[in-house]
Amino acid sequence: MVAAILLLIGLRIHYLVNVAEVRSYASFVGAFFSSLQLGSLYALIALGYTMVYGIIRLINFAHGEVFMVGAFVSYFLFSNTPYTVPGAILGAAFVSFGVMFLATLWRGHRLGHPLILAVGAVSLVAFTFVLSTASLGWIMAMILSMLTTGVVGVAIDRIAYRPLRGAPRLSLLITAIAVSIFLQNFGLLTFSQRQTPFRPETMWTDPFSFDVLGQAVFTTNLIILTPLLLVVLVTGLHLFVTRTRIGRAMRATSQDPETAEMMGVNVNRVIATVFFLGAMLAAAAGVLWGLNFGSLNQPAVFGLLPGIKAFSAAVIGGIGSLPGAVLGGLILGFLENFLTALFPRTPDFAGITEYKDTFAFIALILILLVKPSGLVGEDLSEKV
Amino acid sequence: MLEITNLSKAFGGLQATTDLSFSVNEGEIVSVIGPNGAGKTTLFNQITGVYRPDSGDIRFEGRSIVGRKPSQIVHAGIARTFQNLRLFTNLSVLENVMIPQHHKLRSNWLSAVLRTPGYMRQEKAAYEYALDKLSFFGPRLMSFRLHQPVYVLSYANRRRTEMARAMATEARLLLLDEPSAGMNPSETAEITQIIRRMRDEGGYTILLVEHKMNLVGEISDRVVVLDYGRKIAEGSYRDVVDDPAVIEAYLGKRAAEEGRTADLGVDLEELP
Amino acid sequence: MPDPKRNRNRLLTLAGLGVVVLLLYLIDNSGSSKLVQAFALFSIWGIAAVSLNLVNGVTGILSLGQHGFMLIGGYVTALLILPVQSRIRIIESGRSSMTEETLSISIANFFSAIGLESLAAPEYLWLQFIVALFIGGLAASFFGLLVGIPSLRLRGDYLAIVTLGFGEIIRLLAATSMFSPYTNGALGFAGVPAEFGKSVWWTTAILGITVFVMARLKYSSYGRALQGIREDEIAAAAMGVNLAYSKILAFVLTAFFAGVAGGLWVSWIGTARVDQFLFTLMFFLLVAVSVGGTGSITGVLMGTAIVVFIRQYGDPLEQTYALTDWLRAGGLIVLAGGFGAFIYRAARRLRPRLNAMVWVPLGLGTLAFAAALVAPGQGWLEGSFRGFGLRAILLSVLLVVIMVFRPEGVFGRSEFSWAAVFRERRDRPSDEERGQDAWLSNPDLADRLARQEKREGDE
Repeated sequence: MVAAILLLIGLRIHYLVNVAEVRSYASFVGAFFSSLQLGSLYALIALGYTMVYGIIRLINFAHGEVFMVGAFVSYFLFSNTPYTVPGAILGAAFVSFGVMFLATLWRGHRLGHPLILAVGAVSLVAFTFVLSTASLGWIMAMILSMLTTGVVGVAIDRIAYRPLRGAPRLSLLITAIAVSIFLQNFGLLTFSQRQTPFRPETMWTDPFSFDVLGQAVFTTNLIILTPLLLVVLVTGLHLFVTRTRIGRAMRATSQDPETAEMMGVNVNRVIATVFFLGAMLAAAAGVLWGLNFGSLNQPAVFGLLPGIKAFSAAVIGGIGSLPGAVLGGLILGFLENFLTALFPRTPDFAGITEYKDTFAFIALILILLVKPSGLVGEDLSEKV
Repeated sequence: MLEITNLSKAFGGLQATTDLSFSVNEGEIVSVIGPNGAGKTTLFNQITGVYRPDSGDIRFEGRSIVGRKPSQIVHAGIARTFQNLRLFTNLSVLENVMIPQHHKLRSNWLSAVLRTPGYMRQEKAAYEYALDKLSFFGPRLMSFRLHQPVYVLSYANRRRTEMARAMATEARLLLLDEPSAGMNPSETAEITQIIRRMRDEGGYTILLVEHKMNLVGEISDRVVVLDYGRKIAEGSYRDVVDDPAVIEAYLGKRAAEEGRTADLGVDLEELP
Repeated sequence: MPDPKRNRNRLLTLAGLGVVVLLLYLIDNSGSSKLVQAFALFSIWGIAAVSLNLVNGVTGILSLGQHGFMLIGGYVTALLILPVQSRIRIIESGRSSMTEETLSISIANFFSAIGLESLAAPEYLWLQFIVALFIGGLAASFFGLLVGIPSLRLRGDYLAIVTLGFGEIIRLLAATSMFSPYTNGALGFAGVPAEFGKSVWWTTAILGITVFVMARLKYSSYGRALQGIREDEIAAAAMGVNLAYSKILAFVLTAFFAGVAGGLWVSWIGTARVDQFLFTLMFFLLVAVSVGGTGSITGVLMGTAIVVFIRQYGDPLEQTYALTDWLRAGGLIVLAGGFGAFIYRAARRLRPRLNAMVWVPLGLGTLAFAAALVAPGQGWLEGSFRGFGLRAILLSVLLVVIMVFRPEGVFGRSEFSWAAVFRERRDRPSDEERGQDAWLSNPDLADRLARQEKREGDE
């Protein structure tokens, strides 16, 4: 079936280039790469949705806002550093919590353990120094933002979702919606109410063009970076989930939380880890998104559509399945970008760009009606 | 009334029902017994349309009901109770027992909102009918208990409510899934009498799944024994209980060889 | 069901209606247009919330698409009722996507076309509005039918997302070129007659009708069937309830009233634009329904009152104040919360008394106050801060708190009734009945009762 679709696409391209002569092959190569980029971004965000759903069967509505937080935090890190000392302490505190959390994963200690506290203290001092003296580049900003946003993700779970463990799923969903709205407006309150330009100094946003059959394709270096980061992060996640003790605990908890707990797994800690990881990936996606589009919409709006679209991607791929999320994200990226390239605006045809945003929703509804377990996913039904 | 012919159902690799055939005649009380996991509840689920059998036929009053939806099967005249109780927890006893009358309602929603005389007549009739079914259990579910939400009721009262609810569907065949589960001997004796009264006074035909041999022996006209989804014996209680295949299924090969009986029941007449 | 106090209750309800009419009269003549508008908004959103309650609370299906139904109703009503001058202005603006044809769709023209020219006159605008509202509701209910279809195959959270998807698709498509001949694209319709949406009489009357229909439905056989679906869908089907019919009925009715609410909403604002129907609107309604109670109409109205109050009277929160003022105010509230938690735990004898719920707010509050004290002199703490978005933050925090501490809503499943006011309970035995019930289960007690009665008889 995949072959059939590719054939149809090929025929359509051929038609547009050779028969109707409205586009060149180069433009489709360009569309391919931009779809790949967009798809990678959706994939990174979708992973967070799918991991959280896999472990506590919750659609984390607030994940889109976590993505937003990641983007904005990184913006503040590379554009406003060095900070004054109080600000540096505050920022360092957040980052240090993230470091401490990672440290607890490493050794299995609790947060109050002396070793962890020592690590935290060291990192607090170190980062205060860094944030108050250095002007951060975007990579450092992204890493620190990933740590900070991870903490935000864990906090959301601790404050809003943990008290509702065992509550009916709909209550959880409503709470997630509330958290989402909270973060949107918190962003408005603390970050800004306008669009924010996102242009750090980096070679990755430099233009990059190459020739295809005599025509030039104009892109940026990001077409290399974005998929590369996707591969790196996904590989890291995969290794973590399959090779570490905590990864095993995660997989066990997603199958049967009660039994996992009886086997000695600290379920709450595992869940917090899942939120941390998902938030980290979303933050990375946020930074890449900013680099890609050059600016961030206002906080109440920025995370909304990408969030829902990424969720659709996770469902399309198969919610609960990591490869499914990546697959779904890439598919959605292509659906949005490449499909609009296949039906371009011509004098007789208005094009389908203005309907772009509905594709994700339509695909979501179709998948849920036809194959709710997604392209790769599992089947969960109720026992009478 | 109910004819089951060569019924088979598998879940993945597990064969839950294998080539099962038996029938229930009008006015009979037939018990289905067998060790746990023998496929008794699966059988009920197939009759009531929750599962679709892989092969075989189920005919009720001459017409095949395979493939119909559960609510359609209720229209046809079959109702059930559930092994683990599935009451409408936050609704009152009265509301629980009136809901089965909804499918008989001839008025549309607008008549209900406007409280037309036709609708009010049907409401009153449904109310009376519900009370009538509840009265099977004596006065204990009437008066103030009518309006209590089901979650405050004792376990035995909940079972009784579920049985009244099944009767209130105006079904002709009732499938009772372990009606005495969790009841003590005196409650079990009472429910045994009630099941008999349901057939004698209410005119219901009853197919029941049970584990308590005393109950089974006391009221069954016929007994069907299942093991691993297959029928291994059928007949009167006395016949079945001395059948070697049944003894082996319940008590093991050695017991069968020793010629023991599977009649493990307490004699109900000796109860105070 | 025989109700002994029926006549008394009917009289009380009549008296209550009288009080409501008096209240409306007072509000209408209060001279405060802000109050009038707020109350009208309460009624309008009340219609949307009470109808949303039919699907969410009574049937137990979380629907997140109410804003889509309101959009349909709003736009249809607006197009049908737009006065001629507004239509002319749209053409003259030069930026409209509407044609002469689509702009001529109106109730007035319809009346003229079927020979009732007199009704097309401006004096009959009120009649035209009623017809327009009705048609808007019908249009929305058609979409309710569409949205109801997935509810037959999907459960819980997936279904919720699908309804959200529908709502968003409707919103996104409304401004696209496919539909802008009918919706005027992103510009929408300006100049919708506002005298209906801003009138407490109109809005409350229609709210009254909505509440009447919803309450009558809830306490009917259909209502019971829907609640059965909420409690246990499989058991409901096993008892003969036609799931498909019931669920779709719920969606269609909910969508109808949502459409009517949408029509009143565009009248209240005076324009019909796509960004009046964002998910934020759905969020407000969700808060109203969730805070109020699952299935309780009274609760939902209370929730709507809270939401509308915060929206309309919450502007002071979103102004610019000095940062130190924010810190002090915020610190005070948080400290109060911490103290409240401490008193709660002490009263309930919960240990440890100083757990996270207590010391975190206390600590943060103290920090805030300390910062406010230290501020003069510290450059970065001077300056002012705008409380943008605080209303929504407040509502979202309220929603989380309700979900954590009382997920069934403040009113839960209970409804206002005169019986409740007089503390009449049908689910408690009278003394005589209590004696009877005991006899059934405890023979000793029966003996004692019998002996006691004999003794009293001898005396």
